[in-house]
Amino acid sequence: MNKLIMGRYLPGDSLIYHLDPRGKFLLTFYFVGIVFLANNVASYAFLMAFVLFAVYLSKINLGFFIKGLKPIIWLILFTVLLQLFFTPSDHPLWHWGILTLSKEGMVIASYIFIRFILIIFISTLLTLTTTPIEISDSIESILKPLKKVNFPVTQVALMLSIALRFVPLLVDETTKIMDAQRARGVDFGEGGLIKRIKSFVPILIPLFVSSFSIAYDLAIAMESRGYKDGEGRSKYRVLNWEKRDNMTVIFMAAVTIILLLIRSY
Amino acid sequence: MENIISIKNLNYTYPEAKTQAIKDVSLDIKKNQWVSIVGKNGSGKSTLTKLVDGLIEADSGSIEIDGQALSEESIWDIRSKIGIIFQNPDHQFVGATVEDDVAFGLENQGMPKEQMVKEVDHALELVKMADFKNRDPQSLSGGQKQRVAIAGVLATRPQIIIMDESTSMLDPEGRQTVLDLVQDLRAKQDLTILSITHDISETELSQRIVVLNAGRIVEDSDPATIYNLGADLTHFGLEEPFSSELMSQLRGSLELPTGYLNEEELMDKLWKLRSKK
Amino acid sequence: MEITFEKVTHSYDVNSPVANLGLDDVSLKIQDKKFTAIVGQTGSGKSTLVRHINALLKPTSGTITVGKRVITPETNNKNLKPLRKDVGMVFQFPESQLFEETVEKDIMFGPMNFGATQEEAKAAAEEMIKLVGMDTDYLQKSPFDLSGGQMRRVAIAGVLASRPETIILDEPTAGLDPVGRREIMDLFKGLNEDGRTIILITHNMDDVADYADEMAVMNHGKLVGSGKPFDVFNNQTLLDNDWLTLPKSAQFAQDLAKKGFAFSKLPITVTQLASEIKQQVR
Repeated sequence: MNKLIMGRYLPGDSLIYHLDPRGKFLLTFYFVGIVFLANNVASYAFLMAFVLFAVYLSKINLGFFIKGLKPIIWLILFTVLLQLFFTPSDHPLWHWGILTLSKEGMVIASYIFIRFILIIFISTLLTLTTTPIEISDSIESILKPLKKVNFPVTQVALMLSIALRFVPLLVDETTKIMDAQRARGVDFGEGGLIKRIKSFVPILIPLFVSSFSIAYDLAIAMESRGYKDGEGRSKYRVLNWEKRDNMTVIFMAAVTIILLLIRSY
Repeated sequence: MENIISIKNLNYTYPEAKTQAIKDVSLDIKKNQWVSIVGKNGSGKSTLTKLVDGLIEADSGSIEIDGQALSEESIWDIRSKIGIIFQNPDHQFVGATVEDDVAFGLENQGMPKEQMVKEVDHALELVKMADFKNRDPQSLSGGQKQRVAIAGVLATRPQIIIMDESTSMLDPEGRQTVLDLVQDLRAKQDLTILSITHDISETELSQRIVVLNAGRIVEDSDPATIYNLGADLTHFGLEEPFSSELMSQLRGSLELPTGYLNEEELMDKLWKLRSKK
Repeated sequence: MEITFEKVTHSYDVNSPVANLGLDDVSLKIQDKKFTAIVGQTGSGKSTLVRHINALLKPTSGTITVGKRVITPETNNKNLKPLRKDVGMVFQFPESQLFEETVEKDIMFGPMNFGATQEEAKAAAEEMIKLVGMDTDYLQKSPFDLSGGQMRRVAIAGVLASRPETIILDEPTAGLDPVGRREIMDLFKGLNEDGRTIILITHNMDDVADYADEMAVMNHGKLVGSGKPFDVFNNQTLLDNDWLTLPKSAQFAQDLAKKGFAFSKLPITVTQLASEIKQQVR
């Protein structure tokens, strides 16, 4: 459980860490978009080179990125094998029943494989170098225009950051409650489906109760520290868009132009 | 000296409760005093602090803080004069990091960023947590979290700090660092301290002990006078002081005064008895 | 049941680069039917240690013997019920484990999991609620309508209801007022006198001096001292290293010694201290 939610941000210090999180956030999405423009060996090789360059700039060991592949390795293999054996071809190298192995299939399968790697590496780069709170700050900043239509942007952002703050606490609480019920003879993950679902009631109810009590205490604490309704607040964390962020955007534009030049039409 | 807190004939009953939580409580507290509020669980201690901070509204009676009457209009002013440190360190930590948490109260006041940075650093210096500025709460001990909570209320420059059983969930080491800190701050920052506690050693730091029982003030005096109650203190949610427990065991065979002696006084007395031998 | 730790090491996050040792080569014997206190600073490994006794945690290396049962790194998660029935555990702030609609059902939960019949469990609930000093009227109430102190008692009753031979207590009195604390500690002392083995984790050295027959001192995952409280509190090495703090009586005796009193050994309870003083003054 810990590994899924936490352990994503890796404290460090490099150019990538210092970029404005809003830029990183939006450019990551942008990059995922342009990956789909690549359609030949040269364009894929170029994007791969770009990603490896970004990884190099981050000063993070490549091993962490490869670890990022682990949770979805089966999905990747499944998709790749599907492409490999089910791509129709006029010149199959090998044929058995509905399975076809061809040169075209092999090429498409390897493109898909590289596409996965590109997307996973670049999003891992975002999460490894950006704290959850920076991501929530970026979301607040990006959503700001919605204030005009009375969308409570600051409140939602505060909610998001408090939620992030309390996830580890609730994980600890869950572990403790599970241990307490185990000591009282509960076996998790034993018996049929109904029994299994039932065995989670003694966890869920205490967890709800303590979440509510935390929420109540927190609300009182926030009010006693002068929190009204989110209006008239200033912000301690201010995001700064700097020259290096402009440079990054320009660099990304250059990457796009080169990509457009070397892809085949 | 002037009264910083002045409470007159306060009454409060929780919605749907059968008994009154606070019954006709009147209490004046002088500036820069450290006052302990003691009493068994359910005696109304926490209710009283919530009333003082306007977190709940009294049925009748009046509360004045620093000469200003508590009302709908003055409530935010008054809250800025009072900082509360609650019992559970994890349930009051709002920010994702130490500095964010300390800044929370300042953000609420709408303070500009540059000034905030200074105030946050200053407050963290005061509680000796400056080195932990960027840490997340999970990496701190209970005592450290409470020190951050204290920095968080100090940042807004309050006149009164209420400790609502703030040391009861800490280990002895954490408790000691928090109490030392508060004692030190009271002198330096001219603060008034109101501490709700079951811990006898915490009350020894105060100048005055107010005992609540079933919503009423039943005793209100200096610690030495209250400690004279000896074993009866347990009715008020306090332990018998160690020196008084020892004295009652010695009395049969040694000649000791009937009143309360603190540990230092008792040691001197015992030394004199031994020298006379 | 006698409990033996033999060269037990437990490391958290074995696979991560930041593996930290929760327990480091601990060998310890906890005697049958005795009241044993485990002390040490926060994070010294006390909770990790006791979680091995009912196999909530398994050792990374070493073995734990609980009566006839042996727990090793290879012990699997099946068939642990008989062990967990025999070893009851009261966690810190145990009231957070309550979940049933009524107090009675919550107390019955443990016994039913361990195979008791409805009638047996009901009888246990009635017996235990009285044992923890509450009226049987409370059985039909919702546990969430009770005060904090009452919830604590119900949670303790829920652990006792399975009639464990060994009871592990992780700071069971944290946050209670002095009267409540004394009542809960006396309850466990009574269970000990009835032949139950009690293992108590605590920061309160006065409780150790007043209640425990044996004690163990932990520091940074290592066992740094064990024995009878009187001997352990008189062990200068432990005190010099700040691994242990003294009970109030011993502290007071130490201060008296500075004034000229002489104690060959530090008394650890008020009664011991009083009799020493009487001898020296008269």
